[in-house]
Amino acid sequence: MRVLLVEDDPMIGEAVENALKDVSYATDWVKSGQAALSALQTQHYDLVLLDLGLPGKDGLQVLATIRAAANAVPVVIVTARDGLDDRLRGLDGGADDYVLKPFEMAELLARMRAVLRRKAGHAAPVLGNGRVSLDPATREAVADGSAPVQLSNREFALLHALLIRPGAILSRRDLEDRIYGWGEEVESNAVEFLIHALRRKLGSDIIKNVRGVGWMVSKGG
Amino acid sequence: MDGFKRRLNASLQLKLSFSLSLAVLVVAVIAGIFSFVSALHEAHELQDDTLRQIATLIDGQGVPFLRSQAAATWESDNKDSRVVVEYLADPSQAGQQDAGSGNARARLPIPADLPDGAHTLRINGESFRVLVKTAASGGRIAVTQESDVRDEIARDSALRTSMPFLILVPILFFLIADLVRKMFRPIAALSAEIDQRAERELHPVETRHLPVEVRPFVVAINRLLTRVAQSMEAQHRFVADAAHELRSPMTALSLQAERLADAEMSATARERLSSLRQGIERGRNLLDQLLTLARAQSSSEPPRASEAVSVQHIYRRVLEDLMPLSESKEIDVGVEGNEDAALRVSELDLTAIVKNLVDNAIRYTPRGGRVDLSMEKTSTHVVLRVIDNGPGIASDERSRVFDPFYRTLGSDQVGSGLGLSIVKTIADRIGAQIHLEFADRANQSGLSVSIRLPLE
Repeated sequence: MRVLLVEDDPMIGEAVENALKDVSYATDWVKSGQAALSALQTQHYDLVLLDLGLPGKDGLQVLATIRAAANAVPVVIVTARDGLDDRLRGLDGGADDYVLKPFEMAELLARMRAVLRRKAGHAAPVLGNGRVSLDPATREAVADGSAPVQLSNREFALLHALLIRPGAILSRRDLEDRIYGWGEEVESNAVEFLIHALRRKLGSDIIKNVRGVGWMVSKGG
Repeated sequence: MDGFKRRLNASLQLKLSFSLSLAVLVVAVIAGIFSFVSALHEAHELQDDTLRQIATLIDGQGVPFLRSQAAATWESDNKDSRVVVEYLADPSQAGQQDAGSGNARARLPIPADLPDGAHTLRINGESFRVLVKTAASGGRIAVTQESDVRDEIARDSALRTSMPFLILVPILFFLIADLVRKMFRPIAALSAEIDQRAERELHPVETRHLPVEVRPFVVAINRLLTRVAQSMEAQHRFVADAAHELRSPMTALSLQAERLADAEMSATARERLSSLRQGIERGRNLLDQLLTLARAQSSSEPPRASEAVSVQHIYRRVLEDLMPLSESKEIDVGVEGNEDAALRVSELDLTAIVKNLVDNAIRYTPRGGRVDLSMEKTSTHVVLRVIDNGPGIASDERSRVFDPFYRTLGSDQVGSGLGLSIVKTIADRIGAQIHLEFADRANQSGLSVSIRLPLE
């Protein structure tokens, strides 16, 4: 796995480079847009981390040049510019994701993995939030490293809905929509019943209730 | 009087009205006096002429009246306006004539040696106007009239002459006041226009309909407005740029601290690293808040949202963002009621308002506390409410908590101090009102913040 890091700030560059090496990514660090383009011509990379505020050639120009050369390398923009305009221009310009400074390394690594997964075409990855993970292939859930637990269809559907975006609050209506197919009659209290069952199997604080809104699994454990 | 003088000096309009009125008054008084005096004089002349004509008439036509009777009177209904015509006696016959006449009333003791012409005499305490004429026959005729009557007639006609002035002066006063007020109306309108502007409405003032005298002044104001707008923009840009620039070192700092956590270290070092990372986290928050505030301040026009946003949707978004914080403080955050409303405001703005209010509520409520979000809908407005059971904000502090970096006394909270400033700035821009009160009025505790937004 080879990553090109384009970052002009020495401290950030060093920290990111070291962190990437820690997780065994081969990393080349360049400090200008021009250097990035020449590196891309001579070497194949699996992913590019691109800062927008670069000296000389701006990050967006670098991105445009990469895409104009029909190079489909995944690009994750890492920038301090948080204007909606910048974000849209970045994504429309062919970036695969957008990470805003200041960020945490764990988040950057997760985003990089997600981008790589999308490129590789993995359809159903194992979902998880750090505490509980769910394997769509086997419909087994693992909580806090304990033994895998088999879930019923509806339990699986509910937990799957919550784990698609950890941290998101889903209302009763949202959950009912996911659990029941069209035309199926919704039983009252079904959601509470399923959540009760899941809590019994996985631990009581895995699924959290937000008073008056709905349920969620927390983000990042 | 002093107050009036001060007001006079302060107000151009009052000054103009007052001085014009004064000028009119002075001119009117002088003209009135002049016309009165000349009319009086004219009337006297006219009456003298009348006496002269009577004398000429009597002399020339030989109007018969008995010498023995010696006096003839033309009497009108009014006894006072009578005119007495008599022959002046020879001084030598004076005594005889007196004796021969039984009619003492008619005879006036006019000195016989009075020269020809008009004279004013005082006889028996009364004033008379006497015209003496030497007749063609050699005798002398005296035509006499009481001065009182003449004066009255003269005064009457003089007064009638000056009457227009007396009537016109008050009318002129009104006219002047009204005209001056009308003339100053563009200026009043101008000041009203500038007065009702919001803080950030720094567009130039319209000069087209203004009088030429005021225009340079307004043009100067416009130039000042432009400069103020420029410097405000520069200031906002500076804050935004500075916050942006600080992001990179902050990122470097937090990345290094994050990596440090993976290293082998003692328990003490780990504890210190943890507080270091908390400090970095705080700096990040402050930066984010600064940027939000700079953004809220720099966009002057409320962008008319094309799509309505749901309040419950915003509540859910905000709670998703703040659940980690509320969980770490074991605070029970929730939404009361399930009423919803669609508001035509920018989703970013409304989210920033609600998020800052809930964030504050969580931060300032002690561990294990409770924060409730709710909303109320009337036909014209929607009221969003965030209620906590923390210490609340004392009444005398409520106006100051919206100042940037203001912190309530005795709070050890590590907020940015910008939350309520952001809320206020956005609320002002989108036309929402903020109201703070105690959630529990009896115990003077808990904070209830209401945001009142117009429905359309």
